[in-house]
Amino acid sequence: MNFSKLTEILPAGAVLLSEESRRVYECDALSAHRVMPGCVVLPDTVEQVQAILSYCHSHDIPVVARGAGTGLSGGAMPHEEGVLLILAKFNKIIEIDPEQRTARVQPGVRNLAISDAVKSHGLYYAPDPSSQIACTIGGNVAENSGGVHCLKYGLTVHNIMQLKLVTIEGELITVGSHAFDSAGYDLLALLTGSEGMLAVIVEVTVKLVPKPPFSRVLLAAFDDVEKAGNAVAGVIAEGIIPAGLEMMDKGGVRAVEDFVHAGYPTDAEAILLCELDGTQDEVETGLNAVEQLLTRFGATEVRVAQNDAESDLFWAGRKAAFPAAGRVAPDYYCMDGTIPRKHIAQVLSGINDLSKKYKLDVINVFHAGDGNLHPLILYDIAIPGELKRTEAFGSDILKLCIEMGGTITGEHGVGIEKINEMCIQFSDDELEQFHAVKAAFDKKGLLNPGKAVPTLNRCAEFGAMHVHAGKDKFPELERY
Amino acid sequence: MQEKIKIIQDQLANAIEQREPLKIVGGDSKAFLGRNSTGTSLEMSSYSGVISYEPTELYITARSGTTLSEINNTLTEHGQMLAFDPPQINASTTIGGVVATGLSGPRRPYTGSVRDYVLGIHCINGLGKELTFGGQVMKNVAGYDLSRLMTGAYGTLGVILDISLKVMPIPEFEMTCHQLLSAEKALAKMLELSTGNIPISASCYDGEALFIRLSGDEKVVKTSSEAIGMDVLEQAQLFWDELRDYKSSIFNSDNNVWRLSVPLTSVVAVADDSCLIDWGGGLYWLNSDRSAEEIFNMASVAGGSAMLFKGSDRQQEVFQPLTDGLLSLHKGLKNAFDPHGILNPGKMYATV
Ligand SMILES: Cc1cc2nc3c(=O)[nH]c(=O)nc-3n(C[C@H](O)[C@H](O)[C@H](O)COP(=O)(O)OP(=O)(O)OC[C@H]3O[C@@H](n4cnc5c(N)ncnc54)[C@H](O)[C@@H]3O)c2cc1C
Repeated sequence: MNFSKLTEILPAGAVLLSEESRRVYECDALSAHRVMPGCVVLPDTVEQVQAILSYCHSHDIPVVARGAGTGLSGGAMPHEEGVLLILAKFNKIIEIDPEQRTARVQPGVRNLAISDAVKSHGLYYAPDPSSQIACTIGGNVAENSGGVHCLKYGLTVHNIMQLKLVTIEGELITVGSHAFDSAGYDLLALLTGSEGMLAVIVEVTVKLVPKPPFSRVLLAAFDDVEKAGNAVAGVIAEGIIPAGLEMMDKGGVRAVEDFVHAGYPTDAEAILLCELDGTQDEVETGLNAVEQLLTRFGATEVRVAQNDAESDLFWAGRKAAFPAAGRVAPDYYCMDGTIPRKHIAQVLSGINDLSKKYKLDVINVFHAGDGNLHPLILYDIAIPGELKRTEAFGSDILKLCIEMGGTITGEHGVGIEKINEMCIQFSDDELEQFHAVKAAFDKKGLLNPGKAVPTLNRCAEFGAMHVHAGKDKFPELERY
Repeated sequence: MQEKIKIIQDQLANAIEQREPLKIVGGDSKAFLGRNSTGTSLEMSSYSGVISYEPTELYITARSGTTLSEINNTLTEHGQMLAFDPPQINASTTIGGVVATGLSGPRRPYTGSVRDYVLGIHCINGLGKELTFGGQVMKNVAGYDLSRLMTGAYGTLGVILDISLKVMPIPEFEMTCHQLLSAEKALAKMLELSTGNIPISASCYDGEALFIRLSGDEKVVKTSSEAIGMDVLEQAQLFWDELRDYKSSIFNSDNNVWRLSVPLTSVVAVADDSCLIDWGGGLYWLNSDRSAEEIFNMASVAGGSAMLFKGSDRQQEVFQPLTDGLLSLHKGLKNAFDPHGILNPGKMYATV
């Protein structure tokens, strides 16, 4: 592949050809999967992106877009004969409109940088992935990222208004608008979560929301995971939509407590963190109701944060969950299935059984309010065969999620990681429909090839090995 | 119902063979929307019924022919609602039509639009294939978001069979305040209020008075209404229902009724046309005999888009014309779902 022509399109220094400079970008946060990119480009104008894509299109060169590379599903894993198009230099906030409550930003702007920039107007950008200090808004759009506050404030798709994108042919197109409704098909929704498969996003208009005047966190301990799971459904049934409702199992609590000393009760089988926001009156009434309700559902202890500092401390534990997992094991593997809330307890117990079967520990720290699980499988990559076992364990968890009427990914995307499980969740006809949609944007299949949607051939091979073997594992459970 | 699905598939197969387009009809309450379209009717109202509803999971799944009133009644019993406030045009309005047109009501700026609440769709594409996208859970990023893409696509991408929607609790308490104001002052007030921490759930200006609805915790609503300092409106429910269901006087005009969705802070050159402004300044309803070209141009200058909501000439484009780039993506997508062009062709745009 001849990449040197790209140096004619881009200024010196924006094309990385040497092996050592390319090696940095071998993987995203799914570091077990690595590929050396054929070439790395770091454009900083939309015109350059157009020129790169149009060049790649006419020379049949694959293109993988990359933001900050914090993706957990290998979406930004490079292509060995392709161009890795990094958008990190697009880091400017173009315009803030406090009246309309929008900000127009470049795709490489970090998630948290938006909230920081609009803070003085009493506004913030609601979706808050745990990776928010590092991940880019372009990556958030490509993955439809969520965070702990999505239960009340929605995912990325609910918080953006307009995108500017460059097609593989190099054409610049605007989808959506600064108005509530836009004409034509909802391409904004289609592009959100499309994992860099349809176009490259070069500008995003996000919605901003007023910072709530008051918020408080409450921590509840349970001596039984099932009770905690039922309490989650109970809160929702009561008509309360908390700003966040998170759950952590015993393993999670212990790992976190050793690390940040948030004062979590380490003898609990599970804890819930519930945040309410609004006016002070509203929050206090709500906290009261939640406290009574959780006690009714069998909480052994309920602690309401007495001030902002205590709220922050409660959250600090939750936010440190991933690094805490990193301290108790050399490596961890984060899964991301979503299930109906009512099955939380059953699925956690299923995951426990699998943990015994695979002889690998797992801790659970997750967005209980939306039923979005994040089992962290603890392993050691240095032990031969352990990564393989971990991946098989992960795959079984995803199958379990599908069986329970859920999905293989709630917010991290399919990427390369869950490509096989897509064959289980979707029929051949459905996968064909996805491919047809892809072709409407990218006939030659040059954008992020091999990701997100498996070929039918791949599924046929995978099916022969796996699908049926895993099917009837939980015959006692209802199916959908 | 599997039988009904089979019938639809047969009808599709037949249509493909005969090269005869199909016109998908739910409750037929929104037949006046979109461009004139021809074709054999594909009747959906008999494909009806709530399939599952779990209040604690915050979702409802229903067949597309289910009437909106059946869904609303079911949800109300459990203190829940469709937060996007769908228009109930008449008793036969179906949920399929609600999703296919993607039209939301007065609550929309504060709670979100139809597509924001769509969790999953079971449908038949233009090749007669039965497909399911999304599901019933709140977060799902497996595969492209085709259920949201089909929302508001006027049936041009697939025949919607079943729909899963997120539902929300009905606010504990609501009240509406109103005040006589000039349009300029009303717009400024709507903007100002929506940037504060006041629990607004609707705000509109009918040409004479500003109407603000507050929803939520009773104490908070009452304190906020005092803070706003406007008069309390009796019979508020009727007011908002009429607006939502297109029964207010602005919709009963001999002139064309236009619907313009524009950025909150944009200035719309209303001229002498009578006008109602909803969505806190983001939605203009106009009675106008101005040409389509003129209205589309005005909407585009304002940074938004227009739609001929009710009007005589439905041969021309009724939705804001798309840029060349967008139009070609629309054609490509239409082709990806319905390569024979038999599902409501021309309903949205002449060439889609
Ligand atoms: C510690 C940790 C915690 C995390 N917590 C969360 C969480 O709470 N919630 C959550 O949802 N995710 C979480 N993530 C996952 C990750 O941060 C998100 O998926 C994030 O949105 C990725 O952004 P990025 O800029 O790093 O994108 P990348 O990893 O660089 O790319 C992700 C995907 O987007 C595509 N892409 C990137 N930019 C563009 C663009 N401009 N145009 C088109 N395609 C593009 C890439 O091709 C790739 O497919 C976490 C990750 C880590 C490491």
